[in-house]
Amino acid sequence: MHDKQFMRETLLEGAQAFQAGKLGRRGFLALCGMAGFASASVLAGRAEAAAGEIVMWNWGGQSEECHTSAIGNAFTAETGMPLKFDTSGPLQGKIREMVDSGNVTADVCDGDLFDAVALGKTGHLEPIDYSVVDKTKTIDGYALEFGVSIILYGYAFMYDTQAYPDGPPTSWVDFFDTERFPGTRSLYKWANGSLEAALMADGVEKDQLYPLDLDRALAKIKSIKDNTIYWGSGAEAQQMIVNGEVSMGMVWQNRGRSIETDTEGRYKLVNNGAIAMPGAYIVPKGNPGGPAVMKFIATAQSVPAQLDLFACLGMTPTNSEAIAAMAESDQPYSITSEQNFPNVVLNDPNWWGENTDTAVNAFLEAIS
Amino acid sequence: MRAIPRHALNAGWILVLPFVVLVGALFLGPIFNILWLSVSDPTPGLGNYTELFTSDSLGRILWTTLRVCVICTAISVVLGYSIAYAMVHAAEGTRNKMLGLLLVSFWISVLVRTFSWLMLLGRNGVVNSTLETIGIISEPISFMRNELGVLIGMVHYMVPYAVLPILASMQSIDGRVLQASRSLGATGTQTFWRVYLPLSRAGLVAAALLVFIINLGFYVIPAVLGGGKVLMVAEYISVQVLVTLQWGTAAMLAALLLFGVLALLFLMSRFMKLSTVFGGARA
Repeated sequence: MHDKQFMRETLLEGAQAFQAGKLGRRGFLALCGMAGFASASVLAGRAEAAAGEIVMWNWGGQSEECHTSAIGNAFTAETGMPLKFDTSGPLQGKIREMVDSGNVTADVCDGDLFDAVALGKTGHLEPIDYSVVDKTKTIDGYALEFGVSIILYGYAFMYDTQAYPDGPPTSWVDFFDTERFPGTRSLYKWANGSLEAALMADGVEKDQLYPLDLDRALAKIKSIKDNTIYWGSGAEAQQMIVNGEVSMGMVWQNRGRSIETDTEGRYKLVNNGAIAMPGAYIVPKGNPGGPAVMKFIATAQSVPAQLDLFACLGMTPTNSEAIAAMAESDQPYSITSEQNFPNVVLNDPNWWGENTDTAVNAFLEAIS
Repeated sequence: MRAIPRHALNAGWILVLPFVVLVGALFLGPIFNILWLSVSDPTPGLGNYTELFTSDSLGRILWTTLRVCVICTAISVVLGYSIAYAMVHAAEGTRNKMLGLLLVSFWISVLVRTFSWLMLLGRNGVVNSTLETIGIISEPISFMRNELGVLIGMVHYMVPYAVLPILASMQSIDGRVLQASRSLGATGTQTFWRVYLPLSRAGLVAAALLVFIINLGFYVIPAVLGGGKVLMVAEYISVQVLVTLQWGTAAMLAALLLFGVLALLFLMSRFMKLSTVFGGARA
């Protein structure tokens, strides 16, 4: 391991010298050759970071342009460091693999706060530097040692207004009631959100949800299994609704507004009982960009960045100043707005950080 | 091919040795890594393998996988055999057109096919809405988001894989044998069952093996067309690696798939020369 590290540091210096023009192209390539690295992989990995930039690992699609306009531009203007992207989706397993392999190429992951709990415990993450990042600019309890919540997404449901002309469903109780509200439903297939919704439908008070009663939740999930299909990605959830496959469908709350627009109002979002999920920025251990990434996270907490992320991706701000600055017309779609917040559940990242494996596998067993 | 005379060291080997070593290291290294993981994570020992016998859900996932794969293989091979038979007996021009069509469907991405099936056979898809409009059905038929959907998607994907080896073996059948059979008094049906089918058996077995093995690793089609309810082993492995971080379980299942396939090849090799199945030599 140490010799590997030495090679990497040598290469890093070489790459810096190359960038600065102190080392010729041939010399640099020879150095790469000697170190046994293909030049391409060096340029793609550590050397790129050596140029002084931040690599954000997110989920692709629209988020690349939204993160650039909302955070990247301001961050680059302030620090001179460009923002680049790896859009392959920072799932827990991928972060762990990247850190274990010793070739960390991302500085900040657009992950979940429960990832911060799970991976922080196993030593795969850098702690958040709260002298740079502001603890007060997020929701209470969402500034953890290894991750800080920047935005909230969430799980809410949408219904077909034409399917229920006599009175629309208004809560998870209605969502799980196939007698009064017939039709196919959709739920998230990796347990998150679906379990909380099932428990609320079964009569658990929203402030009594955690620790989740798995057996009770799964029994409720199974009770509507014949009328349920399950989605694995936000795009799939959206498709199930837009293609009319379901009469009621769970969605990522931040997508609700665009689905209402896409279906010309035929499907309506219900925020009552929505489960707010803390989307968090987390830093893989040994990130190439070093401590500068904390400045990036702090930039993401700023009011303009937060409002921009909401406008661009529909993700609700966590910074209370940004929430206060939101336009009246945006309030219904913000999961923490004054009208929605009293009826919303805040996800417990500690429970999920500890229990994801048990919960997901039990859920998969129940639905398959 | 003649047997190569056994010199102590053929010079040719020295030339390819570096590549053999490279391929061996790049290929076997990760496989050993997986095998190692399956007996070392989370604790050393055979704990991951005993889970196979103690966990109901693993048993069910394997059973679903096996069931779907066997049904899909059977349908694909029967369809593939019919198509290949038609191709062999079609005029040359028609055959080339058929081959062209087959290859086009071979090349279409699995995602495109999957979503096309949803468009066609989904709840509000073309087929359901047409049938509803002309009044044949009152409720949409659930073709998709269940096991039927998975089978439709998988068979559609696998038919070209079934046709190609069968076609190759049918093309090598000497037509005069069939004439001989007819001239000796066998009916057309008898000729097919007793002469043609046995002669095309190698292709049939190759197709069945190929289709079955590819089926075992299917991921996208069951995940999307199964509506989350048809959980096959590939998707389960991916969830264990990416979400629940139970890499030991994932590695154990991967090892199981690997040895399952090897065992299948071994069994098959007891009954026939594998090289004829895969066209390495003409029997």
